[in-house]
Amino acid sequence: MDRLKGNALMLAGALLAAIYLFPLYWMYVTALKSGTEIMAYPPSFWPADPTPIFGEVWGRLQMASYLKNSVLIAGGTTALVVLFGTGCAYAMSRVKSVWIDIALFAVLMMQVLPSSLMVTPIFVFFNQIGLMDWPRGAVILAQAAKMLPLYIVLVRAAFLQVPAELEEAALVDGNSRVGAFLSIMVPLARNGILVTGVLVFLQSFGEYVYARSMIGARELQPATVGLQSFMGPNSSDWSGVMSYAAIYVTPVLAIFVLLQRRIVSGLTSGALK
Amino acid sequence: MPALSLPRSFRPGLTLGGLIDGRGFDTLLVMTALGYLAVFSAWPLVYNLIMSLQEVDLFSLASFDRPFVGLGNYRDVLGAPEMPQIFRNTAVFVAASVSLQLAIGFALALFFELRFPGASFLRGLFLAGWIMPPLVVGAIWSWILAGDFGVLNYALKSLGIIDENIFWLSDPARSLWSVIIANIWLGVPFNLILLSVGLAGIPEDLYEAAEMDGATRVQRFFTITLPLMRAQLGAVISLGTIFTLQQFDLFAGLTQGGPSNSSNVMQYWSWQLSFQEYQIGLGSVISVLMIGVVVGLAAIYVRSTRHEQVY
Repeated sequence: MDRLKGNALMLAGALLAAIYLFPLYWMYVTALKSGTEIMAYPPSFWPADPTPIFGEVWGRLQMASYLKNSVLIAGGTTALVVLFGTGCAYAMSRVKSVWIDIALFAVLMMQVLPSSLMVTPIFVFFNQIGLMDWPRGAVILAQAAKMLPLYIVLVRAAFLQVPAELEEAALVDGNSRVGAFLSIMVPLARNGILVTGVLVFLQSFGEYVYARSMIGARELQPATVGLQSFMGPNSSDWSGVMSYAAIYVTPVLAIFVLLQRRIVSGLTSGALK
Repeated sequence: MPALSLPRSFRPGLTLGGLIDGRGFDTLLVMTALGYLAVFSAWPLVYNLIMSLQEVDLFSLASFDRPFVGLGNYRDVLGAPEMPQIFRNTAVFVAASVSLQLAIGFALALFFELRFPGASFLRGLFLAGWIMPPLVVGAIWSWILAGDFGVLNYALKSLGIIDENIFWLSDPARSLWSVIIANIWLGVPFNLILLSVGLAGIPEDLYEAAEMDGATRVQRFFTITLPLMRAQLGAVISLGTIFTLQQFDLFAGLTQGGPSNSSNVMQYWSWQLSFQEYQIGLGSVISVLMIGVVVGLAAIYVRSTRHEQVY
């Protein structure tokens, strides 16, 4: 490919990416605009007089509480999923039998159950067994059930890439099954486990349906529910909303930039294998 | 407990030692996770089915002995005056989202497959949309789509495409499309990446041979690319449909199904009935029906991929 054509294509590619990422850019720009500049026509594409109100939004909307709950829900979900899913993914990658095929099929079917439809029976069920006294715990249990199948499928793909001979050698050397699993298999599949764990964390960090339906008390709600109630029906405080959104998603975008390559390869291997 | 036939078992038996060390170890690991899913996924499915045959409202919520109404809830839901519109909206939402995500994603995948400098980096940038919490995406788009001060209306007016502001979110003729636009934005990265993986798997020499035989670019696309991408296209269409039927947060962030159900879809309606109108029996009817659709689609997809030794 000659240089000129390559550069022209690169320019076109950059333009397409810029168009695609415009909503994110617009979020940050709007967050920095003053109240009057937001309502200006034509809109300015660069803040004339940047007035960051992040600190004010953080305090006024009690974002510390919302974000703490989001981290708590995401962390709890990830811990449960890693605890229950890693061993299952390992066993499913090693054992070939008709039972495992059936179990894997069931897991794949449970992966697609939409939260918005599952929340009705889960809410009534949790309500009857008294779990609604711990609403954040209830959200963690429900969200873990939503994420566990995805985790099993992706981490199973990671375990499939570890040669079985390594484990057999460890067993011959006198390791127990548990020992071989924890000291040989898990470390060798750690990349897949880490990336999938991060993915589960990020997805649960942005969880909305369960939290909105099961958590009534404001001080227990996560950042998604907080954002939704802040937006309200007729809110016009767009620089406030966008500041909130920017504070909320910047860490997510940062993690994404750091792990982008690994996330992509992990997801594509799992989705296609 | 069913005996799983395990090839690499070293100490057989389901004794306590066997659970930790022998073939029972694998059984134990699988059963723990499946046990969790049985309680928190499978049981709610069954419970959902039971509730759809009962009268469940705020008063009978906590009771275990609820009046049984047979198929009455199903009759109520299927006969509801808003049902035809919401059903049609759901079909439009899925068809438009999936086909436009696919078209844009495929076009971008083909473009980035030209392998110019920086192509894979630029393609990676698109994935930022994938990782964003959908509710936040809804918030950002509701500002972009705002009627008076929205930047999309400004862009369309500057380009001479429209003369008057479009009130995307509050105009019943447009509200569903505002959610579709945001959903396409969310779905493009997924299509782009899966289709790129497929394109990268097509052997280069096929194109070279065809080029030597005098096939034009267009001919090569229709005779090589498209047929070899069939499995991949099937995958993104089925998975795209499944994801689109899961979409809830964008509706919450953009239109809440309004105005007057003009942008309402089945999965959002089910939630509204259960959590805003407290007609939980009716909400679970829609839930049962839609879960049937989603799981049916997923089963077809998984079965069709099994032949090719993927998954």
